[in-house]
Amino acid sequence: MEKVLFAVLTLVYLELSMRVVSAPICSYGQAGCHVPSLADLFERVIQQSSRMHSVSSDLHSEFEQYFFPRKNLIGKRKCHTYDILTPEDKENAQRLGREQLTEVIVRLLQAWGEPLSELNQSMSQDQNQDFNLYSSNKALEISDILHELKDGVTIITEKMKLMGVLSNTVGYNSPESLVPSSAFYTQGDLDSMDHHDLLYCFRRDSNKAKNYLRILKCTTLPEPDC
Amino acid sequence: MRRDLRGALLLLLTAAVQSSSMSAPGKPVLLSCRSPEKETFTCWWEPGSDGGLPTTHHLYYERERLEGTYECPDYLSAGRNSCFFDKNHTSIWVDYYLTVMASNALGNATSDPFKMDVMEIVKPDAPENVTLRVEEREASPCLHVRWMPPSNTDTKSGWVTIKYELRVKKDNSNNWKEYTSGTQTHFSLYSVSPGGVYTVQVRCLLDHGEWSEWSNTTFVKISNYLQNERPLSMLISILSAILFIMAGLILIAKRKSVKQWVLPPVPGPKIRGINSQLLQSGGSDDVGNVLIIKQSFPPIYFVWEDQMEDYLIVTENEDWLSSNSQKRKKSLIPACFHFDSEIHSKESPCHKNDWEKDEEISQVDNNNKPFTNTGYVDFQRHVENVDVKHVDYSRVKEVKSDNILFLEKEKVQSSGYIHFQRQEGIPEDYSRVKEVESDNLVVLQKQNAADLSCKDEGNHYTDCALHKPRKPHVCTELSDSGYVDTIPAPPLM
Repeated sequence: MEKVLFAVLTLVYLELSMRVVSAPICSYGQAGCHVPSLADLFERVIQQSSRMHSVSSDLHSEFEQYFFPRKNLIGKRKCHTYDILTPEDKENAQRLGREQLTEVIVRLLQAWGEPLSELNQSMSQDQNQDFNLYSSNKALEISDILHELKDGVTIITEKMKLMGVLSNTVGYNSPESLVPSSAFYTQGDLDSMDHHDLLYCFRRDSNKAKNYLRILKCTTLPEPDC
Repeated sequence: MRRDLRGALLLLLTAAVQSSSMSAPGKPVLLSCRSPEKETFTCWWEPGSDGGLPTTHHLYYERERLEGTYECPDYLSAGRNSCFFDKNHTSIWVDYYLTVMASNALGNATSDPFKMDVMEIVKPDAPENVTLRVEEREASPCLHVRWMPPSNTDTKSGWVTIKYELRVKKDNSNNWKEYTSGTQTHFSLYSVSPGGVYTVQVRCLLDHGEWSEWSNTTFVKISNYLQNERPLSMLISILSAILFIMAGLILIAKRKSVKQWVLPPVPGPKIRGINSQLLQSGGSDDVGNVLIIKQSFPPIYFVWEDQMEDYLIVTENEDWLSSNSQKRKKSLIPACFHFDSEIHSKESPCHKNDWEKDEEISQVDNNNKPFTNTGYVDFQRHVENVDVKHVDYSRVKEVKSDNILFLEKEKVQSSGYIHFQRQEGIPEDYSRVKEVESDNLVVLQKQNAADLSCKDEGNHYTDCALHKPRKPHVCTELSDSGYVDTIPAPPLM
């Protein structure tokens, strides 16, 4: 009984102390919260995208170790984000302009929400024994980071609009119209091939997102050594 | 003839040999591709056998999101058996499918297709211009390392982020110590010691690609200017250590005197006549013997020790035969000690009103007088003796002839006055004691009845009733207590 009481008291104390210490971060400058600068926001978002890419890269290479490597297969794989037109080198990306770049980023991120959750579900069931617990945790982490990244990018665009850096033409198209992938994956359960393709495609797209975000930051906030 | 035959045979042989080595080329193998800055890339292949004929190689590729097959744009920039893709021909995040074809007069050979994405093949060049600078500080030197990123990478637009790593080696050992520098192009090493040659190398990483090769070794020698000071400081430290040890030894040898000097002994109370050693060794009996007067007390004169504190018990009641017995609160030293160097005190009754004995002594034995109203008075040195008669009596047992008295051995309890009958009218008369034999035999001197002498025993005060002062006043001291009152009348008993 005493242990229970002690545990309760400890929890209450911790909760209170935590409440005292932390200051909520908000983007609209409400009273009592700490508003991060645009540079801070960018920094955070870039870090998150970097983490997301590295975890997905690990997951993919793990999968390839155990799965029959299809490196030499000529069969053209098609990622579900194929239709999203993205710049494929530095010059094109720089030429694109802030608004369009932002839009591309947002679309990319939004396109992956659903497929990742499907992947998670499939991995947890894992009838094909492709994954272990370690891998499923990574996939879960990727989903979480993606979710945060989407929110982060939204906040940044709002802030940029407020600052006048970004014109208001940047809108958010509904995910359904953008992504034809929802039809692609609802056909049935994902098999190993699908797992492999998904991981491959996501690795690529996360790298794109990271690069685009960096270009966006360096064009919006120019620094000598960006 | 034979020569000609031989010549013809040789020709045939060479022709045969030549014709057998000529064939279609062997299959080339694509080795690897590499992009140093994520904007261009190069691929290398390994040719197969050339089939004895001059063979040419061509690289063809297909690309995702691009229709058609294309040939390598640049075979020369990257050297032999390579293909260099410049910026215009490079696209990231798309799959390339490469094949190399070797062809000669007799045939072709195509390598296996090689699939790659530029994102995966990024490996930067080594950092450039690594410089070392030694900063000589007082305590220890430190090494500052500076370098430049590889010249072909674009760090300004944020297209790539470079991370660095460096490793340091001292002298000729094979142990490299590695440090991560993050994105800085400088680093400071503090764990360097003078007199060594340090070798430093740096390498870098682009995004999530591969690490570059280590840069060219740069080394620096740190001068050992500090070494000259070392023997001197060592000498000084050794000397001071020796001095300390010697001082310590001296202190230990003289520890008693040191102890005396540091902690001087506190003077304790010294009672004259009391040997503290005896007190410590002896029992309470000795204490009692010293402190308690069993017998008579010395007269008025007392010599006081400075340390003695005496309390005078004052009572309203002159009659110090108090019925009740009050408990004594303190043990007092009787006021009437006559202290001198001798341990045994002279027997003399106490002149004071009262004195008290040590609590240790039982009440039965001593002359303690409990009082009703008591008070303490600080005792002055020479206090007048109060005229109190305190006498000790011994009962006369028998009178033989007229000058021998036998005293009762037992002492009379002197808890008070002894009332003895006196016959009225009989004048008090005194006889001089001639000698005392044993402890109960008193021999009196025959004298004229008119002779009177006052006996002064010990410290007693006696009123000399000089009826006929023939002889001078003689005071004798008796070893026994008390004086003997003689009555020419029949014995008192």
